[in-house]
Amino acid sequence: MGQFLLSATLACLGAGLVVTALLLARQRNVTDRLRRRNAELADVLRLQEEELRHLAAVRLPQLRDRLEGRPVTVSGPLDERRIAATGLDKTMTAVMRLFTEAVESAKANAEQSAKGTLKAMMRTVQSLANEQQLAISDMQQRHDDPEVLAGLLRIDHMNAQLGRRAQATAVLFGSWPGQQRSAAPVVDVVRGATSRIRDYLRVQVSSEVSVAIVGRAVEPVVLAVAELLDNAARHSQPNTPVEVNFQLAHNGVAIMIDDAGVAMNSEEIQRASALLSGRDLGDIARLGDPPRIGFAAVGVLAARYGFTVSVDTRSPYGGVRAVVFVPNDLLTKVDDGQDAAPAAPAEPKTVPATRSAPGPLPRRRRMDAARDASADPAGPAAARPARPPKEVAAGLGAWQRGTRSGRAAAAGADPGNATEPASDIEGNERS
Amino acid sequence: MTPPRNRKALVRPHVVTAGRARPSRNIFDLVTLVIATSGGVGPLTPEKRRIVTLCQGGALSVAEVAGHLDLPPSVAKVLLSDLVDSGHITTRANAPADPADRSAHERLLREVLDGLRARL
Repeated sequence: MGQFLLSATLACLGAGLVVTALLLARQRNVTDRLRRRNAELADVLRLQEEELRHLAAVRLPQLRDRLEGRPVTVSGPLDERRIAATGLDKTMTAVMRLFTEAVESAKANAEQSAKGTLKAMMRTVQSLANEQQLAISDMQQRHDDPEVLAGLLRIDHMNAQLGRRAQATAVLFGSWPGQQRSAAPVVDVVRGATSRIRDYLRVQVSSEVSVAIVGRAVEPVVLAVAELLDNAARHSQPNTPVEVNFQLAHNGVAIMIDDAGVAMNSEEIQRASALLSGRDLGDIARLGDPPRIGFAAVGVLAARYGFTVSVDTRSPYGGVRAVVFVPNDLLTKVDDGQDAAPAAPAEPKTVPATRSAPGPLPRRRRMDAARDASADPAGPAAARPARPPKEVAAGLGAWQRGTRSGRAAAAGADPGNATEPASDIEGNERS
Repeated sequence: MTPPRNRKALVRPHVVTAGRARPSRNIFDLVTLVIATSGGVGPLTPEKRRIVTLCQGGALSVAEVAGHLDLPPSVAKVLLSDLVDSGHITTRANAPADPADRSAHERLLREVLDGLRARL
């Protein structure tokens, strides 16, 4: 019995041991697996942590720099293959996209409102400059003293520059150049542009061309040429000339502005060409300090009105040659009545002389003489002896007496307008 | 014949006179008569060329020249004295008051006056 009990106990014990051993072995397996899994997870966690740290410390700052316009390449994840397996890369990409969108929309909003404010401000400045110009013109008409005129010319010059700066800034931020004008000869357009720059005395218009620019394009071309002239004058020695030449071509006319300053390097030319094409509008933040608005404004005008501007050639004097090419659709014929081509003088005088016939107002004889002159192919000089000088003198003397008595009667009235009532009335007759 | 008002503002007077405000000679009054000499226009600025061309048809007063060019009279004087200096134009003595012609011009003036009255 005792023997049996002992063996039974031993058997149980043996079985128990076997079971325990089996359990232990299994437990060890499980633990091993868990440990491995744990290590893997820790690894992934570390990887993700590193990626996140990389995102915050490197990738987002790089993205910010690029969005601010600096030439930075934004780096990718540290270990692209492994992070792709975890699925975190999609989340990170989403974060970066959101970041980009947020920055861009904030920037666009800020730019929009800054542009709007600047545009409105510049429009105010511009209209004040225009008003001031009218006041100055009015004073120039009324004052005869050279001292006063000298002052007025200086004020006029400064006011013209002020107006130009305001206009260029407004144009850059989406405004129209304003100022409706009638068609003007190209030479006048260039001289009008010369009026608006600081060193206007250095500008030499050496050649001539007998085409005019259509009214709607006058102000834009004046503004563009003024910016280019100013640029040429500022980037060359103060004692060197800035030369303007014209070249009539099949498709239009080229206005060439040569300075004797320093040439631009290829990088500058590239930047300038991008601005002048009007494609790269540039934002306010990139204009620099002090802001360089000239080329950018010229580019906007050129793109909007259909002329082209290039600065990629050298001038004969080693500086820059800026070329404004105005195509034929922006050109028209020179109005003979306005531009005194030597052959044309008789025309404006002949017309009033014939017009005066039906009206009650007699014309001055000077006009008749002019008509004679126009009828004579030999020209005005040959026609002059046909009329007794005494008659001319007497006629003019009468006019003079009339002017004097008129001045005495209305002291302070502008005698320069003495001829104007007649032409006004003539205008009424025609209608 | 009078250019449109806005045309005036394009080329400013400081460019027209090259910044000078004082005529080189002080011989001009608003009613001084100027007349072109027989020389050509030569290499002149557009405004000076217009003055010479205008004055080729006969004598004109300074005020009229200024009016035709739409320039202030004081600016026109600067250009005119340059042109006198360069020999392109000359001034002409003021007309003598000739009593024989007087009645004809009184009639002319009366016609002008009547015409104006009829119109205004």
